[in-house]
Amino acid sequence: MSIEIRSVNKRFADFHALRDITLTVPSGELVALLGPSGSGKTTLLRIIAGLDSPDEGSLHFNGEEATKRHVSERGVGFVFQHYALFRHMTVFDNVAFGLTVRPRKSRPTKADIKEKVHGLLKLVQLENLAGRYPAQLSGGQRQRVALARALAVEPQVLLLDEPFGALDARVRVELRRWLRRLHDEIHVTSVFVTHDQDEALEVADRVVVMNEGRIEQVGKPEEVYDRPANPFVYNFLGNVNLFHGRVDKGKARIGEIAIDLPEYGEADPGPAVAYVRPHDIEINRLRNSAEEIEAEIRFIQGAGAVARLELERLDTRETIDAEITRERYRELDLREGEKVFLRPRNMRVFVGDYTI
Amino acid sequence: MNTQNNNRGAQDHGKGLTEPVAIRWLLTGLALLFVGLFLLVPLDAVFSQALEKGLGTYITAIREPDALSAIRLTLLTAAISVPLNLVFGVAAAWAIAKFRFPGKSVLITLIDLPFSVSPVVSGLIYVLIFGLQGWLGPWLDAHDIRIIFAVPGIVLATVFVTFPFVARELIPLMQAQGNDEEEAALVLGASGLQTFFRVTFPNIKWGLLYGVILCNARAMGEFGAVSVVSGHIRGVTNTIPLHVEILYNEYNYAAAFAVASLLALLALVTLAAKSIVEWRMKVSS
Repeated sequence: MSIEIRSVNKRFADFHALRDITLTVPSGELVALLGPSGSGKTTLLRIIAGLDSPDEGSLHFNGEEATKRHVSERGVGFVFQHYALFRHMTVFDNVAFGLTVRPRKSRPTKADIKEKVHGLLKLVQLENLAGRYPAQLSGGQRQRVALARALAVEPQVLLLDEPFGALDARVRVELRRWLRRLHDEIHVTSVFVTHDQDEALEVADRVVVMNEGRIEQVGKPEEVYDRPANPFVYNFLGNVNLFHGRVDKGKARIGEIAIDLPEYGEADPGPAVAYVRPHDIEINRLRNSAEEIEAEIRFIQGAGAVARLELERLDTRETIDAEITRERYRELDLREGEKVFLRPRNMRVFVGDYTI
Repeated sequence: MNTQNNNRGAQDHGKGLTEPVAIRWLLTGLALLFVGLFLLVPLDAVFSQALEKGLGTYITAIREPDALSAIRLTLLTAAISVPLNLVFGVAAAWAIAKFRFPGKSVLITLIDLPFSVSPVVSGLIYVLIFGLQGWLGPWLDAHDIRIIFAVPGIVLATVFVTFPFVARELIPLMQAQGNDEEEAALVLGASGLQTFFRVTFPNIKWGLLYGVILCNARAMGEFGAVSVVSGHIRGVTNTIPLHVEILYNEYNYAAAFAVASLLALLALVTLAAKSIVEWRMKVSS
């Protein structure tokens, strides 16, 4: 089922949670709503579910208006951030709940419910825990019960609020890959909320980046990562270094470095900010060209697949983060306190005086 | 090095949290002495005074028609006011814990009002409203409806005084549990009633029972407010506490203590039930 959100606004007292949101989720896609806390992503998810209603705007399922449809009639599955399992019911009864509350006419028989629940528990790999209570389960197990419970009613849309937020790092990575595979199997239109960019980029077909109640960018994971629409998206998706400079006559000047910006050829001179990812900072012991920045190594974290360096520019005393491969790190044989030359690659310049 | 230091620190910390043996015994002893002096001795006095003139006198005092009538009235009052406050308490706690609405803090303050007002004042309020010289008095008199110095007044006063017990017990419990499970039930297609009976109620049943037990104990034991509106008509508008007072004022100590011992027994049963429910609440959470 496709979801269409048209010009939705939502306010809580004097807090403007959603500002004129328009978004289409095509049928069968797995979409991530990504943003910092307070960006409105959970509110948007709750409006799709019917747990909150928009002040203005409308919501359409498969082209049909659903703004006023009651939450219990929307046919959505919702996985809550803290699972919201019924604590006094067993795993089996939790999963069966959506089926047992149906009116007698459309309620499956006991045997059918039993078969269905066991099928779902098998799908989430919890077959042998049907008789346990939520308090007796680990976080990851509770999460999967919540998912099975949501799937039991055969929802047209699956909505997940920070589905992995409360789990430890290892379980989190495992579960999100599992969710991706599950989605490839059952192809139900899914929307999940997260503040973790890795999670969004790894799991989703499309990422919706949100900030302060607005949508900043919508795109495939590579699109939003490689071609961020604005400084906020750039900054939110991964670490970033900022270089302040000026733009004039189609050229940006960032310290010693000049970058061609043909699209700003006509623009008035003004401030500009260049963004560079830490892994796009090349480190050399010797100066190769004039367009390099001299810096001192303050701190090295050499464990792991990449070496992370914290450097300080000698001219402005600003801090720069850099990541280099292990091989390069060994080859250069860097020590804290040494002076090196930095060459930023793939700089992305945004004209205007942005502050984040 | 670091870990060793931390370990030692943790041990010191643990030691610092327990008092020396002597102080522990002193504090426990003081508490027990207090409980003994102020609770056990009076309780013992009630029963020994009641049985002073033998079991026969005790039974006669309880089986006397006025006493039986007082017991019936007390049971009737509790049977009306406890269910009323049960329904009201659940509804109020539900509204306060699960919804945001204007006037919420006013409602919470109103629920607490009976706790902060002297019961005598509560009784007087009803006399002012329904009494012969009160606002509605002449109209009620003209229609031959008796509230003050009659059973309806006693029930009204009791309902008022026991108003906060159930709601006060449920509000923090329901607030702590939040809305998540109810929302989950709604999304899964449950109706409002199904959500209440299958999700909310099982989560609050022990807290609810606890509130009902306390409400019942107060409903049966209330003196001040009931005393003002009852008129002390023997065999008609006397509840157990009022009957005890009358007997005591008539220097009929054995009978007074015999009837009072019923209330003391009620207190003991309440205590036992309360402890069982408390234990169940701990187990179920």
